[in-house]
Amino acid sequence: MALLEQDHAFEIADALIDASEADETEVTLECVEDRFIRFSADGPTQTADRESYELAVRVRFAATGGGFREARARCGGIDEETAFGALGRALTLARIATDLPDAVPLGGPTEVPETSPSRPTQDHSFREKAQWIRAAQERADADDLAPAGLARTTVASRSLANSAGRRVFGATSRAEFSLTCADRTRAAGRAQSSAARTSVHTYADEIDADLVAQDVAASAVRGREPSPIDAAPMDVVLAPPAVSALLTWLAAAGSGAQELAEGSSFMSGRLGEELLDRRLSVVDDPAHPRFAGWRFDGEGYPTLRTSLVASGQLVGPVTDARWAARLGLANTGHAMPQPSAAGPRSSALVLEPGETDEEQLVEAIEDGLYVRGLHYVNLVDPQDLVLTGLTRGGVFRIRGGEIAEPVENLRFTHSLVDAFRSVIGVGVKLERQPSLMGGEVVAPALALRDFRFTSAAPGASS
Amino acid sequence: MTGAAAATFTDLATIARGAVDTALQRGADHADARIVRRAEERLTMRDGVLASADAPETCGIGVRVWKNGAQGFAAAPGSHRDLVDLAAGVARRAVKIAGDVAPLRRDPVRLAGTADACGAFETRCVENPFLVALEDKRDLLVWTDRALGGRREVVARLAEIRIAREEQWMATSDGGATHQVLVQSGGHIEATSSARGVVAKRSYPHSIGGDFRSGGFEVIRAMDFPGNAERVRDESISLCHADVCPAGERTLILGGAQLALQIHESVGHPLELDRILGGERDLAGGSFVSETDVAEAVEGAESSLRYGSEYVNFIADSTVPGGLDTRGFDDDGMPATCFDLVRSGRLAGVQSGRASAGRLGARSSTSASRAAGWHAPPIDRITNVSLVPGAAGTLEDLISDTEDGAIFADTPGAWSIDQERRNFQFTCEVAWEIRGGRRARLLRLPTYQGSTLPFWQSCDAVAGPESWALYGITTCGKGNPMQSAAMSHGAAPARFRGIRFIDVKRS
Repeated sequence: MALLEQDHAFEIADALIDASEADETEVTLECVEDRFIRFSADGPTQTADRESYELAVRVRFAATGGGFREARARCGGIDEETAFGALGRALTLARIATDLPDAVPLGGPTEVPETSPSRPTQDHSFREKAQWIRAAQERADADDLAPAGLARTTVASRSLANSAGRRVFGATSRAEFSLTCADRTRAAGRAQSSAARTSVHTYADEIDADLVAQDVAASAVRGREPSPIDAAPMDVVLAPPAVSALLTWLAAAGSGAQELAEGSSFMSGRLGEELLDRRLSVVDDPAHPRFAGWRFDGEGYPTLRTSLVASGQLVGPVTDARWAARLGLANTGHAMPQPSAAGPRSSALVLEPGETDEEQLVEAIEDGLYVRGLHYVNLVDPQDLVLTGLTRGGVFRIRGGEIAEPVENLRFTHSLVDAFRSVIGVGVKLERQPSLMGGEVVAPALALRDFRFTSAAPGASS
Repeated sequence: MTGAAAATFTDLATIARGAVDTALQRGADHADARIVRRAEERLTMRDGVLASADAPETCGIGVRVWKNGAQGFAAAPGSHRDLVDLAAGVARRAVKIAGDVAPLRRDPVRLAGTADACGAFETRCVENPFLVALEDKRDLLVWTDRALGGRREVVARLAEIRIAREEQWMATSDGGATHQVLVQSGGHIEATSSARGVVAKRSYPHSIGGDFRSGGFEVIRAMDFPGNAERVRDESISLCHADVCPAGERTLILGGAQLALQIHESVGHPLELDRILGGERDLAGGSFVSETDVAEAVEGAESSLRYGSEYVNFIADSTVPGGLDTRGFDDDGMPATCFDLVRSGRLAGVQSGRASAGRLGARSSTSASRAAGWHAPPIDRITNVSLVPGAAGTLEDLISDTEDGAIFADTPGAWSIDQERRNFQFTCEVAWEIRGGRRARLLRLPTYQGSTLPFWQSCDAVAGPESWALYGITTCGKGNPMQSAAMSHGAAPARFRGIRFIDVKRS
């Protein structure tokens, strides 16, 4: 299976739109090719060479009192029987739906920037991925470490067409090489020290497997025999993966207009306030060079670069057509696929870089911690973005402005709002990082004052 | 649009067998093929309108092979019409991948047991959920939504039902041939209220996407959403006026819904064998349980790992009626089973697939290998892991038998646990302080911390069978790339001594 070309995608959509009995019909079609090798100390454990389609048909009947009744059906194939089966199910569901009085008509023709995957990423083979893994195995062997990780490339195309004449199409790619190296020296083969790093780029040729392996192995070796440490508020330097794990929740729970209106967002009642440190600016920017993501949303509106926080001041949420109309805001093009009970959401969050390199951030701290990554970060209280999670993949004491001995993991429970009021410095170098809980963020390192560690996490590998 | 030769559903077993044969002809040492067709229906009422009505369906084939000690997997979507054309090509791709990655293997994969089971399994449904009129489903949500409203403090109301039917055809190179029809039904309701500057949510019967069982529409009717909506609404409002649960060390009684997540995170995951062997270290993590602990448990040693107190018994049961992982066979083709994980507080077993069991040198797996669908390779998975009921009576009996100042908490709010499943922190939706043997002061954001073994060792009472129920987890994420799976955990309320609470507003 090859990625669907634009004309083919629109041909399928037009056939369904023409056949639909609904007053409005929208067809989205996503095509994904995915290849990966997962590996552990024994070598590859799982692989996959797979493709998938998701064809979604959304239909709407005009409601007598204004607005629409609507429903959607999806299928995993593009053959005629499967696609028209989805149309039939959507029509059946829409006939029993309740009226949506404030539903706005589907948008008409619009322009979105072209995006495309690179051919080398699309053609990246299993043997090439095996070379990445071999680099990790050799480096790990040299330091008596057990490697585990993932080598993966994905290419995808997405189109949306509707009965109002909208036709948008895009294609993108993603390459990932993640590596965890764990110390083999613990009794019964279990690890005492471990380090991890994930390298995510739009194109496969941007992955430097040797560099990843070198960095992870060096950190794992340096992290051997960590010392116990008591939990207390401490100054920290958070490396970009740790910053991303926190910011993922700002995107998921705090950036959307629905949460703002319901009062659960940290922005609720605070728009215009200079709530955070002036050195912090947060935007949603799918066109950022490190993302190269989708340039249109679940309704086919162009996804605009949207400022959420400008120099510490809360600017506003991301919106979709429904919530923009309801709140009298501009539509920023952040709709989920419709219909949906979920509101608009940021999907390409960027914390703007500062002017300080990571070494200088460390030098600014007399006594604190350097945290390479965070694990299992979850949302405790959305109103102040209170988060909890643990350090993982390397945590080191900072003494006198220098990275010193490794320490055992700690749990934090801290308000992201409070943390972002207590900024010591903002790093200059940006990284794109995924989160265990989903989503990706582009962020630099941050130095923060009095980060609230609330308990030790003894026994967990560093 | 693509056209293809016609095939009937009865041919799908033959197509799966053909894919296995192709893989063997191409040089595979072992192979299996799974064809999976899944249909769902999701209706979501939000704030008085049917905000989402969705009916997704997928169908495809996944072929897994082992060659020269390495695994290869390929998958493709297709309707029943065109799978006959796709299957051989998918099998050839899987064999090629195994050949490409085999030089990286340090130790050949060894598969425990023989996947030669033949048979069929079908979820028992009293009321086929796909045959219930859509109007009836909509009206159930409309009535529920009305009952959730009517108070100015309520800022968001949600009522959702979901049904799913998954049909699987599997063939293995050991001669196995199975067919399964798995049906799941469930949903949930939520009220979010705002008062005094506090926003609070209350859910029923479970948070985290709702509660589900294997079964038909009778599962949803039994949940009685309209009958519980006003209580859920009123509790969400009351939580806005409640104090934050204070810090300190206290006795804790956990309700079944919260215990289900506690079991999932601190018993289910650490007792997955692939985690114990390091196969999940790259993302989800490992386990504090060692290979030595497993060996002692499997041998039945009386000195095996002390996991909990004498009141603590856990079983892994993929045969229990209503379980979300109740089926005839796992995705390695091994028959479903029931066995002890923890017996009288001692570790007694672990959950394994054929590959992890083979690496351990076991004779067979414990039928715990599952994939997220046709497009994913199977991995070791938590099955229906349940806390065996005790003899402490009902929840109210347990509360009346507990001292003043103890906390009764239920329904997951936030959760986090380290990568070896040792150090955890959970926040529940709701709690009550116990006074005079009854629930007294309502508390919000109850947050407790602990370490897995001391926590389960502190358990001194488990309520009886009359309070035991299954709770569904539908969003268990594991693997890399992440795969989602569903399973159930049975529990009756249980009591734990000396638990540390923190005040998350003052932490």
